[in-house]
Parts: sequence; C-alpha cells; structure tokens
Amino acid sequence: MNGFSAFLAKELQEIRKTWRIWVIPGMVLFFAVVSPLIAQLTPTLITSMARSQPGVTIVLPPPTWVDAYGQFLKNMQQVVLIAVVITGAGAVSGERAWGTAVLTLTKPLARGAFVLAKVFSQSALLVGCTALGTVLCAALTRMIFGPAPLWPLANAALLWLAYALLLVAVMTLFSAWFPARGAAAGGGLVFLFLGLLVAIWAPAARFTFVGLLPAAGKALAGHPAATFWPVITAAGMSVVSAAAAVKIFERQEL
Amino acid sequence: MTDVNAIEIVGLEKRFGSTRALDGITLAVPSGLVFGFLGPNGAGKTTALRILTGLAFATAGSARILGQDVASAGNRLRAQIGYLPDVPGFYAWMTAQEFLYYVGRLFGLPRSLIAERSKALLEMAGLTSVRSTIGGFSRGMKQRLGIAQALINAPRLLLLDEPTSALDPIGRREVLDMIASLRGRTTVFFSTHILADVERVCDAVAILQRGRVVANATIAELKRRAAVDRLTIEIDGELESLVADLGRQPWVRSLERSGSRLTLKVADLPLAQRGIPAAVARAGVGLRRLESGEVSLEDVFVDLVGPNEQ
Repeated sequence: MNGFSAFLAKELQEIRKTWRIWVIPGMVLFFAVVSPLIAQLTPTLITSMARSQPGVTIVLPPPTWVDAYGQFLKNMQQVVLIAVVITGAGAVSGERAWGTAVLTLTKPLARGAFVLAKVFSQSALLVGCTALGTVLCAALTRMIFGPAPLWPLANAALLWLAYALLLVAVMTLFSAWFPARGAAAGGGLVFLFLGLLVAIWAPAARFTFVGLLPAAGKALAGHPAATFWPVITAAGMSVVSAAAAVKIFERQEL
Repeated sequence: MTDVNAIEIVGLEKRFGSTRALDGITLAVPSGLVFGFLGPNGAGKTTALRILTGLAFATAGSARILGQDVASAGNRLRAQIGYLPDVPGFYAWMTAQEFLYYVGRLFGLPRSLIAERSKALLEMAGLTSVRSTIGGFSRGMKQRLGIAQALINAPRLLLLDEPTSALDPIGRREVLDMIASLRGRTTVFFSTHILADVERVCDAVAILQRGRVVANATIAELKRRAAVDRLTIEIDGELESLVADLGRQPWVRSLERSGSRLTLKVADLPLAQRGIPAAVARAGVGLRRLESGEVSLEDVFVDLVGPNEQ
C-alpha cells in the first residue's frame, strides 16, 4: 500500500480546500440546525394557514423532541443520501476524466490503494459530519423542547450512517465501472430507489441492508427493530463493492 | 546496471478492435541517452508510452523497463521512473509547491529531501515566485511543472510524451535545454512529431509509422544511410537540357532543382557517378561540384513516412 497515506492525505485536503466541504457536511449541519426549528414552527404555520380558510379548523398536538429528530432523519434520508450518490459518482471517473489519475498512478501508488483511499476519505467525511450533525441536532432540540433522550437519535443516526457508508462503497464501484460520471450517478440513484422500494417487503427489510432505513425510523419512534442482518449484510455488501471496484479499476486502461 | 538497456520492447502489439495501433514494434533504448521517439500524429507513440507506464496493456509482445517486465512490475519499478503525459492533469486547487510535495510523498521521500528538490525544480521550471493555484496556470506553466514533477524522484528513466507540443518558442527552448541538461544523468525517452526538437537534443531516434518502427539509429547514422543514394551537383550554364537528359536515365529515382544546384536520388550509385559527368558533357555545361548529398533529419523522416504525414 505504498503511497496510500499520501493519497489519503490528498483526498482529505481536497475535501477541506474545495467545494466538497460545503456539500455533504454543509447539508448535514444545515439540517441539524433547521430540523428542530421546522418541527417547532410547523404546527404554528399550518394552524395560521388553516385560519385563512373559512370553516377549516386544524388542531395539532404541541411539537416534541420526536418531531425534531424525525425531521432531521427525514432530511438525511431524502436529501443527504442523494448528495452521497451525486458526489460519489465522480470519485474515480472524475480523476480519470481530468487526467489526474494518470499522473498519480504512474507513481508508486497501487490502483487498489487509490480506490480504497477514495472509500476511506468519503467514509471519514460522512462519519465526522454525521456525528457532528447528530450532536448539534440533539443540543438544539434540548434547547427548544427541553430534556430529550439522546439514544433514539444516536441509534437512528448510526443505522442511517451504515446505509450511507454502504452507498459510498457502491458509488465507488459504479464510478470505477462507468467511464461517465452521469452513468455512475444514474446507477446510484437506481440502487437507492430500488432499495427503498424493496424495503416495503418485510422479509427483505428484516434480512438485508434495505431494512436499515426503515429500522432507523423505528428506532427513532422507540419501536423495536431487527437490525442484526441489515447491519451484517450492509457491511458485507460494502466490502464486496469496494473489492469489486478495486478489481474493475485494476483491469481498466487509463 | 548501466549496461542494461533502459527500455527493451519486443514484438509489442496493441489492437483496438480491428485497428492495430502498434504492429509488433521492437526497440532497444540504451541507458544514458536522450532518445527521440519520432512519428507523425497517430503513429502509436502515446499508446506505446501508455503501455510502458502500465496505463494500458499490450495485446501481444513484451516490454521491459530497467530490466523489469512492465506487465508484472509494480511500485518498485514506478519508483524509478518519471513520466509526463501529453496533456498532464493537475489538481487545480493545489499550488505548484503543494503538488510537488504531494508527488514526493507518493514516492515516499522524506520531507527535507522533498523541500530541497522542490526548491531546485521550481527554480528550473521558472515557477519559484508563482503563488497562485495550478488552476490559473497557462499551458506552458503546466508543462514545465509536469517536467518538474517527473524529476522529483531523480528517476533513472524519464518518459516524456510530446513535452514541447503545447509551448511557445521560448518555452520550447527552455524545455529542450532542460532535457539536454539531463544527458548522462538519466535516460530520457521522449516522443514528439517536431523534427527540430529531436535534431537539437537527441542522441538517437526511433521513427514510428503506423504502429511500426521504420528506423532506429543515431541521428548521424540515419543521415549517413539516407545520404548514400543522394548526390548533389552544381552546374555552370543552362540546366534545361541536362535536367531532361538526367530525367531519362534509369538510375535516377528523383531529381530536385534549386538555382544552379541539382539534388538527385539515385538507384545505382556507381552508375550515377559515371553517368553524371557524361550527361554534363552531353549538355555542354560546366560541372562546378559533384558530391554526396547533405541530408537533414526532415529528409530522412519524409523518406521513411511520406511527405504528408508529419
């Protein structure tokens, strides 16, 4: 793994110095801040809108920390995962298209190390900003709604993170496989939406990685959810995807 | 290891579908030379360099660099070579200094050595005072930085793909001087279609045409070989009847006229050496000079690849 640490350092520096710092970390922190606020303001907004319609009365229960956490998780599932797909699509294909892969891979850096450094750096970014976002969301929720348990949010965030890390590995595979960034992004979106669709089928949700996102929702609501097989299959699928990305990239001409 | 050829290519083939980009090239590049890999656009130069650097894979044949097979060689071999592609891709957000540091770390060099070499290389590339990121560099600046990064590991073999094609005349001269200054310190193998560059800095040359090596020798040897069938004569008097007479001779392959001078390519040199004075006498003109023709590398190149392929 000669050159791995140098390339990983470059990847982390690139996140810090380019637009990449604003995309996923920016989104996660933004949702961490606005989710509790939206949860608090939503009933007021809906009630005031209903008042403008004669004869319509909407009575909503007062918002709680569950609404704040739920709003945060919903945003993470609906928006941040798509951002993971879009940014991951260019991980390998972008370097190939810009010619930077050629200059880098004619140095003592194995192609496997190149691909794995991409997976590691993107994963580190996700772990860091998810942890920060979760803590920030929990702190703001506590400020707005009073005492709130941390574990439901932490549990849901961990399950979401497991799915996001799987998506990083899958996107690295697609990015190594497809020469065009658009094709890799298309493949990633199909994977994401197909996963959400298949998760409706209970046995699939119970025994495969597609159950991670529904399990995150259940964890937040305090309902018991089977997470053993979803976590195990997600970890296995991540390893298989990363290994396949390495194999494919090793056989490609640059 | 100086007695080992820096590059040895045997029967190298590369096919893209039905197209043969390389058609069984065989070539040996002795260590320590500045070697020109000359050919018209599309001759297969970049493909050959991509195979040598492990970026592409040969369909058949073998290539060895510094005694190691490129198909199975890994980081150990790459640690000993420097490479500049025809269009180098840099991280636009880095400065030249940061890029050299990054490349030095990829080679596993200690920080102090990287700092020392970066300083010297940036100076050589004329980029010492440049503080902007590479995204704002001109093509010439990128090309000079490309050569600098290829030298950070003090390579035993430097592979350069069309290093001067994007440069203005001054930038070109600087790069050629840089290449010439490496003679004796490392083997330089550079591809180009610019004949003047080869003539200026190369010790030896291989000429590639449609995926085949059509010549491989020192420049002096190539010129000597090409001069064998050329004769130049200088005449006092009217040339018309002499040109007409020579044009009818079976041993004359081609004839070029420039003022009072005629340059002939001949099929049979002894016959021509006897026949020319006789033709001069028949035409009633004076023979001022008869000698073996002077040949430029361009003449050699045009002879080998044809006039329209440069």
